[in-house]
Amino acid sequence: MSFFDLQGTLKPLTALKQFGKKPHTLKDIPWKKREASDNYRGLHFNDIDECIGCGNCSTICQNAAIDMIHLEGVEGKKGDSGLRPRVDNGRCCWCALCVEVCPTGSLSLTKDYIYVTEDPDAFLWTPGISNPDGEERKSYVSTHELSLNHFNRIPMPELEGKERIKSFAEVVLGYNEEQAREEASRCISCGICTEVCPDHMHIPEYINAIAAGDDKEAVKIIYDNNPLPEMCGKVCTRRCEDVCAIATRGDSVAIRWLKRYATETAATADITHEIVNPEIREANGKTVGIIGAGPSGLTAAYYLALRGYDVTIYEASAKAGGATMYGIPKYRLPIESLEKQIGYIQSIGVKIKFNTKVGKDISFKEIYDKYDSVFMGVGFPDAWPLGVDGDDAEGSMQAFRYLYMINSGEKVDIGDKVVVVGGGNVAIDAARVSRRFGAEVTILYRRRVEDMPADWEEIEGAEDEGIHIIPQGIPTKIHKDEKGHVKAIEYLKAEMVADDKGGRPRPVAIEGSETVLEATAVMAAIGQMGDYSFLPKEFEEKITIERGRFVVNEKQQTGDPKVFAGGDAVNRTADAISAIADGFRACKAIDEYLSGK
Amino acid sequence: MREKATTLYLGPQHPGITGNMMVRLKVMGDTIVSAQTEVGYLHRAFEKLQERRNWLNSFTLMCRFCVPETDPMENLYARAVESLDNIEVPERAKYIRVMVLELARIATQLMWYAGQNGSLGLYTMGQWSIGDRDYILDLFEQLTGGRVYHMYQWPGGVRRDLPEGFEGKVLRTLDYLEKRLKDYDDLMFSNSIFQKRTQGVGYVPKESIIEHGVVGPVLRGAGIRSDIRIDEPYEVYDKLDFEIPTQEGSDIWARALVRRAEVHQSIRIIRQVLDQMPKGEFNTSIPNPMKWRVKAGDTYVRAESARGEVGYYAVSDGTIHPRRMHLRGAAYVHAITLLENILPGQNVADVSAIMNSLGTCAPEIER
Amino acid sequence: MKEIKDKMIAQINAAFPEAVNKAYDGNRLDFTVHKDAIPGFLSHMKDQLGFRHLSHIAYVDWIEENEFELVYLLWSPTDKVKLFVHTRIDRENPVMHNIDMIWRQANTYQREIKEMLGIDFPDMVAPDEFILEDWDDIPPFRRDFDTLEYVNRTFWHRPGREDAQDVRETISKRSGEEIPDFAKKYSR
Ligand SMILES: Cc1cc2nc3c(=O)[nH]c(=O)nc-3n(C[C@H](O)[C@H](O)[C@H](O)COP(=O)(O)OP(=O)(O)OC[C@H]3O[C@@H](n4cnc5c(N)ncnc54)[C@H](O)[C@@H]3O)c2cc1C
Ligand code: SF4
Ligand code: SF4
Repeated sequence: MSFFDLQGTLKPLTALKQFGKKPHTLKDIPWKKREASDNYRGLHFNDIDECIGCGNCSTICQNAAIDMIHLEGVEGKKGDSGLRPRVDNGRCCWCALCVEVCPTGSLSLTKDYIYVTEDPDAFLWTPGISNPDGEERKSYVSTHELSLNHFNRIPMPELEGKERIKSFAEVVLGYNEEQAREEASRCISCGICTEVCPDHMHIPEYINAIAAGDDKEAVKIIYDNNPLPEMCGKVCTRRCEDVCAIATRGDSVAIRWLKRYATETAATADITHEIVNPEIREANGKTVGIIGAGPSGLTAAYYLALRGYDVTIYEASAKAGGATMYGIPKYRLPIESLEKQIGYIQSIGVKIKFNTKVGKDISFKEIYDKYDSVFMGVGFPDAWPLGVDGDDAEGSMQAFRYLYMINSGEKVDIGDKVVVVGGGNVAIDAARVSRRFGAEVTILYRRRVEDMPADWEEIEGAEDEGIHIIPQGIPTKIHKDEKGHVKAIEYLKAEMVADDKGGRPRPVAIEGSETVLEATAVMAAIGQMGDYSFLPKEFEEKITIERGRFVVNEKQQTGDPKVFAGGDAVNRTADAISAIADGFRACKAIDEYLSGK
Repeated sequence: MREKATTLYLGPQHPGITGNMMVRLKVMGDTIVSAQTEVGYLHRAFEKLQERRNWLNSFTLMCRFCVPETDPMENLYARAVESLDNIEVPERAKYIRVMVLELARIATQLMWYAGQNGSLGLYTMGQWSIGDRDYILDLFEQLTGGRVYHMYQWPGGVRRDLPEGFEGKVLRTLDYLEKRLKDYDDLMFSNSIFQKRTQGVGYVPKESIIEHGVVGPVLRGAGIRSDIRIDEPYEVYDKLDFEIPTQEGSDIWARALVRRAEVHQSIRIIRQVLDQMPKGEFNTSIPNPMKWRVKAGDTYVRAESARGEVGYYAVSDGTIHPRRMHLRGAAYVHAITLLENILPGQNVADVSAIMNSLGTCAPEIER
Repeated sequence: MKEIKDKMIAQINAAFPEAVNKAYDGNRLDFTVHKDAIPGFLSHMKDQLGFRHLSHIAYVDWIEENEFELVYLLWSPTDKVKLFVHTRIDRENPVMHNIDMIWRQANTYQREIKEMLGIDFPDMVAPDEFILEDWDDIPPFRRDFDTLEYVNRTFWHRPGREDAQDVRETISKRSGEEIPDFAKKYSR
């Protein structure tokens, strides 16, 4: 190459042809804002009403850019922590992982990327509050498909419908280890569910232990405030699942099934003892008498015994468990499972006097005088009759009684055509049990199927087993045959009428729509009630009963400071976990009362 | 009388490289006698920070290893985790990743055009190529939601599918660039100043290549046909047809010619990718990131960045936190021992240009 | 590929009977070698078996086992085989052989390892400091170096964020749930 290279000097000069070309930068900047792309990751926006304050956004952010804070006008409620995310834009790296993990989809990033201020604290701002108009410029959003949350539950293996009705074998087969770990991994550990659980179980903690493969730790955590967890793992009404953060856009985490999985790893009472390894305090010399070995009584007894109290339960029946033993059918809750749990409770020192009905075999006064404190967990041992013409026919019975007898091993003649009246879990239980004895079963319910208070999985299970549901039917009469036995049930069809007061629609009978349904047995499942005849008159003033239930304060204490009560005979939710919660609360209150703390 | 050597501190600010780094030179007149690199201005402890992070939110750190070239690092991380946890990546995602990687290669080379010329005082080229690079950043913005830090390739695939009409936009940008590259040739490669300042400058002797672990355009500029995309194909590179350009000179000029040819090859690759890209899923979902335990084990994955081999050694102990993620960057070997080795005898005025031609990226060295 | 690897394994086993092979799929070849054998092993790999390219020297702190691990990652351009060479170093006596005469670039790796992990390379010539300046704490890449604690000790937090709440705590307080201490490690 020569020193002066003509080509090499002239060619670069061709660049001059660019002279006068329109520049490809935007002319109007900074006066006109450049519009960002459709999925730009700019400043955050949060739909404050959609957000449930689960804090998952804050957890994924390892730049610690997101705080969860109280906001004026946002109150915590069931299914909502009441907190909302605030972003430190000085720390944010715009990765949008917060958006990807937000279960509700309320959080997004917007096209806004220019934010200039001289106030250094103004970079702390609350998406949705600081930029209410951000809604219109949302760009990087989380959709159901793109979300990193796993919205689909691991299906629970079950016996097939046809198989099930052949026996009382447990229908639900339970997760295996791999399924349980996977299902547990869906939980985002927010804990929103715990508030709704009547017993406030430590749900995210035990689920996380399962996810981590520490099943024993999970069992320990579960036993912290529930001594009948395997029962709950099988039959709990699981209101926690209604508010699960994942349920906002998908299937809630199978909290109940996970509890079941964990507790089933403790195969016997001894193993349970070994795993839970309970710390039992030295006897403190104080005694507590408990009436009723249902879930509430057992719970109070277990935790009081752990705290060093001498506890004795008086139970009218031959077995403990109350309605969970005598009500819930065995295909849902096998007897061995319940007996294992009760056996464990007894193993730590709880005494149970069976076949001892208070008011008959021993007086309430005697118990009241003998013990330093008394807890009543007597449940609802009676059921409402149907209350229609012909109700006294042979073969007309209460579902609750029917289940009691079956669970006690008695034989009940129901023929081959059973009609169950009602829409709750007891109705479904009676129907499914009857089906297992070979009967054709129809459920007659006043309202629509979607109005049935029974668990949706139970309704589906009944349908799978070939149970027929007649909705919007109001029974009016039971027809008897010559021998006074049930022959048929007559009902009126109903239409749903909107309630003016804003309540749920009411069924109103359609005149002239009388229909007759052949039946060999009719079972009423329209509600249970208490039996407080064991209470002597002298206590009536202090231990008051209102609308069929004991009146207690927030510590489960009745008007008589020494006497506490809980379970179905107290709470309106009338399920096992509420009874357990009452028992646990009562234990703490009794401890407080007796230890003077 | 013998001249006395003077110590000259070059940097930590340079016209030619990304980030801050200093070279301590001993010079006699204009000629370098010895060189010693000093880093430490940019240590952010990303790898250490991952001990506290989980397998997902670690990924957001990846793009920050090397600012001008973020995508190969994301790719490495994704592939490392996928290989540890046996995650199948959908075919479409692999094609999208290759498209991203090649667009990134072009963008990085455009940035290099600017740096290489800037370090020689030729500033017009930089105005052009940085402006043109922005067209690629526009594409990235539409695809990933970010211009420079894309955070787009993650374990399992990519975060979002191509937006509507994206392929067309890519093709139009490629057509434009192809035309533009002719202007670049006129302004840069035909320019006698550029030629004189680069030919025979920054020579890397053949013996140094194995010694110093030389990779990428520096290796190919020394006549060795080696490229991870061919040697150990990842994603779908084995299904694509492209050449590995080489040059013999082993100087800045040779490396510049290699890079120039590689831009053309990248354009060729992207066209094939758009042509062959199958429809379907673009991502395999990972478990809930907060509870994701990656199978225990170790792996080493490599990729060919615009500056050469980058590698990632990854270890999982089966917990939700990465046990160890250790990056090997191209600059890590080039910018220290190799640079120190080739500088003596060179002119002070050429140091920045030499550093630039080696693909020096200080943030990648310190991580 | 399998034949190439098998052949290599046989050759390595013959030359280094103590080296422990672990089988992997694909082009990965994996050996664990005593630390004293490393220089000899590596130069043999480089000169005799075609592993000319040193791609990486990775390091891991296995604090539970009281050991450091170095992993030399080698590449054979001719056979396209990737070789992992693992070695363990006692954490109590962190000294290792220098290999920068085999590959000069190892010098840089070793400087980093020395600084970040505290492994000494007695016969290596290099400036004392690499990335860190005037560091007087334990080597920061040891597992027992706590980043968060260091940050809290070294930097101050800008005021204005003290009102941040913990979601789990907010909910448990509201409902009166008492989370036992042993369960808290499973909270998020
Ligand atoms: C058929 C049926 C199905 C159900 N299914 C579910 C379900 O799936 N999930 C769920 O959560 N809940 C279910 N329940 C409700 C649940 O079983 C009850 O809410 C729970 O058992 C209430 O517990 P408790 O402690 O209040 O009383 P109970 O369980 O009713 O126990 C009271 C105990 O006190 C004893 N007792 C009563 N009076 C006396 C006395 N004077 N002297 C001595 N002992 C006495 C009784 O014999 C009984 O053992 C079901 C109930 C029934 C009937
Ligand atoms: S992850 Fe979503 S729902 Fe949860 S707190 Fe954050 S913004 Fe609200
Ligand atoms: S089960 Fe649902 S509500 Fe409960 S902690 Fe997990 S994600 Fe949150």
